[in-house]
Amino acid sequence: MKNMKRMAAGLLAAGMAAGLVGCGGGNQSGAAADGNVNLTFQIWDVAQRDGMQAMCDAYTAQHPNVKIEVQVTSWNEYWTKLEAAATSGQMPDIFWMHTNELLKYADNGMLADCSDIVDTSKFSEVSLSNASGSDGTLYAVPKDKDTVGLVYNKEMFDAAGVSYPDESWTWDDLTDASQKIYDATGKYGYMAYGDDQLGYWNFVYQNGGYILNEDKTQAGFTQPATAEAMKFYIGLQQYDWCPDQNYFAETAPGTAFFSEKGAMFFEGDWNILAELQNYPEMQGKWDVAVLPKAPNPVNGDGRATISNGLSYATAANNKNLDTVKDVLKFFGSEEGQRIQGESGAAIPAYIGLEETFLGVFEEYDINMQVFLDMFDYSIQSVNNASRPEWKSKVSDELLKIYAGTVDIDTGLQNMQNIVDAASAG
Amino acid sequence: MKKTSKLALDGYVWGYLMVAPTIIGLIVLNIVPFFQTIYMSFSKSKAFGAYQFCGLENYIEMFKSPEFWKATWNSIYFCILTVPIGVFLALLVAVLLNAKIKGKTAFRAIYFLPMVVAPAAVAMVWKWIFNTEYGILNSLLGKNIRWLTDPKIVLITCAIVAIWSAIGYDAVLLLSGIQNISRTLYEAADLDGASKVQQFFHITLPMVSPTLFVVLIMRLMSSLKVYDLIYMMVEQSNPALTSAQSLMYLFYRESFVAGNKGYASAIVIWTVLLIGIVTVFQFIGQKKWVNYEV
Repeated sequence: MKNMKRMAAGLLAAGMAAGLVGCGGGNQSGAAADGNVNLTFQIWDVAQRDGMQAMCDAYTAQHPNVKIEVQVTSWNEYWTKLEAAATSGQMPDIFWMHTNELLKYADNGMLADCSDIVDTSKFSEVSLSNASGSDGTLYAVPKDKDTVGLVYNKEMFDAAGVSYPDESWTWDDLTDASQKIYDATGKYGYMAYGDDQLGYWNFVYQNGGYILNEDKTQAGFTQPATAEAMKFYIGLQQYDWCPDQNYFAETAPGTAFFSEKGAMFFEGDWNILAELQNYPEMQGKWDVAVLPKAPNPVNGDGRATISNGLSYATAANNKNLDTVKDVLKFFGSEEGQRIQGESGAAIPAYIGLEETFLGVFEEYDINMQVFLDMFDYSIQSVNNASRPEWKSKVSDELLKIYAGTVDIDTGLQNMQNIVDAASAG
Repeated sequence: MKKTSKLALDGYVWGYLMVAPTIIGLIVLNIVPFFQTIYMSFSKSKAFGAYQFCGLENYIEMFKSPEFWKATWNSIYFCILTVPIGVFLALLVAVLLNAKIKGKTAFRAIYFLPMVVAPAAVAMVWKWIFNTEYGILNSLLGKNIRWLTDPKIVLITCAIVAIWSAIGYDAVLLLSGIQNISRTLYEAADLDGASKVQQFFHITLPMVSPTLFVVLIMRLMSSLKVYDLIYMMVEQSNPALTSAQSLMYLFYRESFVAGNKGYASAIVIWTVLLIGIVTVFQFIGQKKWVNYEV
């Protein structure tokens, strides 16, 4: 039995060392001696795989010496993996970039300059900013653009005798309709929860406020217009017709909506196709409208929707930079963007090709056009180089306000301080 | 000085060659990163693996942070909730599975099943069971308990799932320990007229105590390091997050979400110290109750 004791000690040593320290891996690729080039292309959305593959096939058909392998890594692991790959200098040849992270990579010199392969006249200002570093240089090729819309349940509106949301709707109509639906059906109205892009950001910009100032060095949480919108949005959970944050921690608003527990929530266009397919029994019962506007905006006309956009990027130290940039140029060309749009993957960033995205929705009874209409007043998704650092801290602060451990004015001041401190570097 | 003979030297060379694959693996994957982590805990980290030495700054910031102390307490509280009850239940199950009953193998398989299922799947299912509005548990109880969002309850909920997932594995370890006990001891006890309960306390328990000790140490370590289960059960949009956040969860959020690898390393070093201290006490304590005699 003496060896039992040794086994215990051994386990102790191994157990303490293992598990506490981890390490990441990277992808390797390169050019073969015979002139053939094998490229890797990393994305996070499995729903867009076929669209991306179709685009790559179109390119490789013209360039038989190039092979592109599309790899999907789930969103949760994508950034951990990409950072590890960047640190060890082994990034995939082509990868998707998100505005949340782009500046961190661009400003640290990880991404190749793409300004010579993008025809800037073909992309909107918002699209181009979503792909630019803090120095204004394009470090990626715009891929798509999106907006946020108001998804609503037609049956519940009918039951309550409320007319469907339209362009004339203001925040007041949103709360009135919610109350009426709740009274008539007992279902929740508009489901407001702790989210930025699909939540309070939209309200803040509609009200003429801002989250980050023009040069992205300071937050705007304590600005009157911002604070007013934040109070309105957070205060919605006080109504009987809106579930509280505890509810949303367990049941996502989308889940609640599609199990017919609530009448309205904000949704991005990129989720609509999957929702149509995943909830066939709900088809025809719901539709989308433009976001309601602020009734008394401090600045502007009260209209805004957050528009994010993904982009394609490559590493600054890529070994096959010429080939890769040629591929990227194709991805950003009319032909490449058209293939992407027609596959239903996402709304092409390329101006004039937006409508190609509508094709896949023809078989469904849904008004996807509203997402395109909102580009007229869309606001660039909020970001600066330190966003990864402050994102989770601001969201923690929001949760504290929801939980009632911090009052809203203190909470907003805390958010302001967090973002200002992180943005100062 | 004694001279090493050629034969003995040959033996050494071969010996080291044989253990080299494991040792190299350990060094590259565990030991070097461990020392790197220590170094990182004294540095400010910047994006993409750049570090700058900053002395004790991370530790000072850490010890001043209420969030950190809350996470430390959460980890310890989680241990208190899971380890005693979990190990006790595992022992009970092991004894029962050792009994002469029909379908013993089937039961063993059933109890071991949670170990085979991916933790993510386990958490998904339990989350639905515990759902306040639509969960089966509340609807059975006819109550409206906020299992996952009430700050006072959330860790207990996680502990229940943790115990459930670990029982099978611990029970199998303990079962192997019990089966190593010589039958003759029980036969002698039977002749002396000892009851089954007496046999359990005077034969089974002392004889299985070395295995029990191993199980206890492993369970304590893994409970102090708990991360995946809480991460899966308590999302980052949950208002009860700070009441459930363990040290490793905090580490994950600092390191991989916020990108503060230096500060996160300090949390890891603190956790290592914590586990070390607890384990030292266990090794001291074992002299009182662990029996290594046959």
